[in-house]
Amino acid sequence: MIAIPYFTALTTYFSYGLLFVFGQFRDFFRKILDWWSTDNLQGYAPICLGLEDFYIRRLYNRVQDCFGRPLSSAPDAWFDVVERYSNDNNKTLKRTNNVSRCLNLGSYNYLGFAAADEYCTPRVIDSLKKYSHSTCSSRVDGGTLALHNELEECVARFVGKPAAIVFGMGYVTNSSILPVLMGKGSLIISDSLNHNSIVNGARGSGATIRVFQHNTPSHLEEVLREQIAEGQPRTRRPWKKIMVVVEGIYSMEGELCKLPEIITICKRYKAYTYLDEAHSIGAVGKTGRGVCELLGVDTSDVDIMMGTFSKSFGSYGGYIAGSKELIQYLKYNCPAHLYATSISPPAAEQIISAIQVVIGEDGSCRGAQKLARIRENSNFFRSKLQKMGFEVLGDNDSPVMPIMVYNPAKVSSFSRECLKQNVAIVTVGFPATPLLLARARICISASHTKEDLIEALEVISRIGDLVGIKYFPAEPKKQQQVGMLKLE
Amino acid sequence: MYVRTVPPTDLNRNTEWFTYPGVWTTYLSILFISWLLVLSLFNCSSGMAWTLVHLSHFFVTYHFFHWKKGTPFADDQGIYNGLTWWEQIDNGKQLTRNRKFLTVVPVVLYLIASHTTDYQNPMLFFNTLAVFVLVVAKFPNMHKVRIFGINADH
Repeated sequence: MIAIPYFTALTTYFSYGLLFVFGQFRDFFRKILDWWSTDNLQGYAPICLGLEDFYIRRLYNRVQDCFGRPLSSAPDAWFDVVERYSNDNNKTLKRTNNVSRCLNLGSYNYLGFAAADEYCTPRVIDSLKKYSHSTCSSRVDGGTLALHNELEECVARFVGKPAAIVFGMGYVTNSSILPVLMGKGSLIISDSLNHNSIVNGARGSGATIRVFQHNTPSHLEEVLREQIAEGQPRTRRPWKKIMVVVEGIYSMEGELCKLPEIITICKRYKAYTYLDEAHSIGAVGKTGRGVCELLGVDTSDVDIMMGTFSKSFGSYGGYIAGSKELIQYLKYNCPAHLYATSISPPAAEQIISAIQVVIGEDGSCRGAQKLARIRENSNFFRSKLQKMGFEVLGDNDSPVMPIMVYNPAKVSSFSRECLKQNVAIVTVGFPATPLLLARARICISASHTKEDLIEALEVISRIGDLVGIKYFPAEPKKQQQVGMLKLE
Repeated sequence: MYVRTVPPTDLNRNTEWFTYPGVWTTYLSILFISWLLVLSLFNCSSGMAWTLVHLSHFFVTYHFFHWKKGTPFADDQGIYNGLTWWEQIDNGKQLTRNRKFLTVVPVVLYLIASHTTDYQNPMLFFNTLAVFVLVVAKFPNMHKVRIFGINADH
């Protein structure tokens, strides 16, 4: 539930309307001017319809310098952002040789494994020397190393399931597993704010897709009842299987999923559950085992658990964890396993070492320290931002906190002003978020120190006042007066 | 004054923005402000101004709601490329609140325009033609109908 000030909603619609009208005028005049000049298409059809990339040409290109900023260092708590300039009003951007050292509030570096780590990096370098950087083959042909089997066992043990299978890329995990598991005659019920990989995987599977209102178990039950009663679209036969797809932490909201209620409903109606823990594995939970541990759900109640290694473990790739029969079936049928190159050996070693640090198998308590630090950092940052009057989404303990910005002009100016003050923030607008609800998303990491966070808070507060995004009234500072009384 | 929003279940980003609060107010206030603008720019009577607003509203909404097909971004892979905005809204469900509102607005504009011009010709003729075309285009029976193949897919 997001509370928008009504006037802000009106001004946001008006801003987008103005941008749209300007874009249409420019397109109209461009069409007239191009009528006179010849095109160099030589008889070929144009690649895209003029209407299809309207958003990219007329809205996104205006603020292109806020997105896709190149970096020149590892994405640790502080990193180097390459400065760019543009001579033609942001249509093309040119890199300079200057870099600015900025505070990193945008990387999914939840446990701080993104930069060199004292336990992981020597092991990764050893495995790079031993196995080289690529297996150059798919898992089925010649690309399964002992490292991959060790990785799959390690992941299965960490997540709490009998077996696991790993893939080279997180997006591909979702978009190639869903077509394997579901086909024509099945039903996929997915949350309305699911990630694009799930949407594309569901569309590619050929199954019927129904969407339920975000994180609303009662609406899920309504949709399930309606669909089970109606059956398949024209033949009215019963569905072959029904799968409910939800995410652990929604990356644009920072909210946790209402997993216990959803699992209860799925068990009642005998639907399978697919939990995408991309942002929650390794980042939440007492020992970092994800949203099941945090909410007290038994992992055997969730049928398929999916996750990625690029967020908390500082590597890349994705995994699916489930029963032994499921993983065996996937190994024979999933195209990402049969045809795609297997995960690179140093990346696999990084994941194994990172999991060992998190569990504590490396002999130190750094894993527990990291988990405690990310929890403290997230709660501290979120409570301070809320006290300042920002509208921050997300539940407590979630390291993802979006700050609502709404107006398109405020989105781009917030991003640019923060970069000038050496704080790098990721802003997201339409169409990744709904039209009204553009936001700046902050990802807290265990490698942020308290001083980093306090400095970031000051910068964000100053720029928030400048841009005008403190939509809620700020809480009055009571602590200062108490301090003064104590001195007296 | 705050309003609460719930994310809708519409996956089509082109039409989902219409289900959030504040859209109807923005639409009506744009019409009112454009009437004030026309009055101040053209120095005409208020009836002529309403007629001008009504006719330009007709052209703009017909072009964007019933003529242009598809979505302005490419990442939905063209599944809506054969549908106009009116056919995409609310996932194709007919007679929802939004559709009823959008059907009533041209009719109310027509009544205001013809009343303030005292039902004189030639304004009455153009106003009537505009409202007739708009309201017929919004009927549920006209869903995906292309008369004489005008504006059909290639």
